[in-house]
Amino acid sequence: MEELVNIFVRSVFIDNLVLAYYLGMCSYLAVSKTVKTSVGLGLAVIFVLGITVPINYLIDNFLLSKGALSWLGPRFAEINLSFLTFIVFIAVIASMVQLVEMVIEKFSPTLYNSLGIFLPLIAVNCAILGGSLFMQERNFANIAEAFSFSLGSGVGWFLAIVGIAAIREKIRYSNVPAPLRGLGITFIITGLMGIAFMAFMSIEL
Amino acid sequence: MKVIKNIRDKIRPHFAPGGKYEKLHRVWEAFDTFLFVPEKTTTGGSHIRDAVDLKRTMVYVIIALIPPLLVGIWNTGQQYYQAVGIDPTIQEAFVFGFMRVLPIIIVSYAAGLATEFLFAVIHNKEVNEGFLVSGMLVVLILPATMPLWMVAAANIFAVIIGKEIFGGTGMNVVNPALLSRAFILFGYPAYLSGEVYTYTKVQEGHQLVDGYSGVTPLSLVAEGQTEALPSDFNMFIGNMPGVIGETSFAAIMLGGLFLAITGVGSLRIMLSVFAGGIFMAGLFNILALNEYMMIPIHQHLLLGAFAFGAVYMATDPVTAAQTGKGKYIYGFMIGVITIIIRVVNPGFPGGVMIAILFMNVFAPLIDHYVVEANIKRRLKRLKHNQAILKK
Repeated sequence: MEELVNIFVRSVFIDNLVLAYYLGMCSYLAVSKTVKTSVGLGLAVIFVLGITVPINYLIDNFLLSKGALSWLGPRFAEINLSFLTFIVFIAVIASMVQLVEMVIEKFSPTLYNSLGIFLPLIAVNCAILGGSLFMQERNFANIAEAFSFSLGSGVGWFLAIVGIAAIREKIRYSNVPAPLRGLGITFIITGLMGIAFMAFMSIEL
Repeated sequence: MKVIKNIRDKIRPHFAPGGKYEKLHRVWEAFDTFLFVPEKTTTGGSHIRDAVDLKRTMVYVIIALIPPLLVGIWNTGQQYYQAVGIDPTIQEAFVFGFMRVLPIIIVSYAAGLATEFLFAVIHNKEVNEGFLVSGMLVVLILPATMPLWMVAAANIFAVIIGKEIFGGTGMNVVNPALLSRAFILFGYPAYLSGEVYTYTKVQEGHQLVDGYSGVTPLSLVAEGQTEALPSDFNMFIGNMPGVIGETSFAAIMLGGLFLAITGVGSLRIMLSVFAGGIFMAGLFNILALNEYMMIPIHQHLLLGAFAFGAVYMATDPVTAAQTGKGKYIYGFMIGVITIIIRVVNPGFPGGVMIAILFMNVFAPLIDHYVVEANIKRRLKRLKHNQAILKK
């Protein structure tokens, strides 16, 4: 249990996908103009990460990685399908996003209306693929740890985009020098946020 | 005063548009308003006429910073003489400390203000008074052992990245003084590790006492030596190693009282930072998993820069939350995160400054939701009232 909390806190604050690895920057910069839309996108990222990373964890551990197929019999123990990782992960993400979109549309139109536009956007968000690849690289012991990591990464991404959206709303009336207006100042704020998030660097539960 | 005014009236035309030093007009203006109140008076309409403008507000903060500065100067000398095993008079300690702290103050102001003046001249806008406070705050949150070039570099970075590119005073997102410290903390961590905060370059004829360590109390606690802490009284008056301004709880309270009475610093934030600290320290006391969690609550408030951060840093009117309720949340979170960083994070010995920086980033978000909630509440009331009217 303690390990799960530890992984969660680490992936929210220390290994933050945006502020530590600069992943998912495109949608992070494009959609962070108002708090309302960024909350929608942030929730969608939490949601999709929370679903795709555990699924990819299962696929990776029982189909793709070296020796993963040994449950089929000793003949398959030597097979290494890890060269398929990227394409399978992307396919999983894209199809999951489609599936989720259809399910939400059917059962909760209000949620669909608030998330609707963002779900297809997320299929190509590198934070999502990044989450799956980090999961593979970090060798989590079981699916619960992978889930905790994916949830934490999603929450970290959410915090970052909502935080910067509020700041961007606030500095709308600031007298930023002309060359820096727009994306320039947003990158600098992202850097300052990264410094602030380093507060939790090397935290240990 | 008359003499100064005459000289001023004589040289003023040179700086006016069309004069010899037209380019330096903004520099002139900055110094001019120091000595004389701006001549512009509001005409027409109902305005509150008051002498308090931005510059006066900043001067109030500087007045509030005098007590911790004086005690900090004394303490710098006191710690040095304790390190070499001499019992100094207050005067000796003060003179020694003054010789150490003064260069830091000069360099801090020179570097920061030069950058600010440069920006003002290039962009032809008024010089911002904000750095008068930031420059002093930076000095008070650095140890007296800080190399001077590092103070200058950190200040230039903080003024440009933290303030000027956002449009100057009143527009910044994070507190420039804190950014300056964060620059040193992450760029040159060895100088802010809490190891030796007293002046260790021993003068001729002096010798360090055997077994002298000069470790700050927070580092002592982090190493589990809770019994080696200074007495509560010493922590209260500020006789312990630490950065220049943070050590004396008493002096900080004096400044805090001044800020609260004049209304320059928000009492809500100060109190809620303390409330957050007390809450989290109490929670850790109940959990009591290790020795650090068991230090009494009041010591948590006396240790490190907790009080200094609560009174001077968290109350910065620009970077703090602006809404009434938001201020309570903002302050409370600072207190909580500070104690969490202290106890759970072995990376840094102290956590106040970085906790405030973290909350600076999220202050606009807090404000946003407080305002939203307010709008929702009033809409609901409106609908309710309309429903009643229809009946």
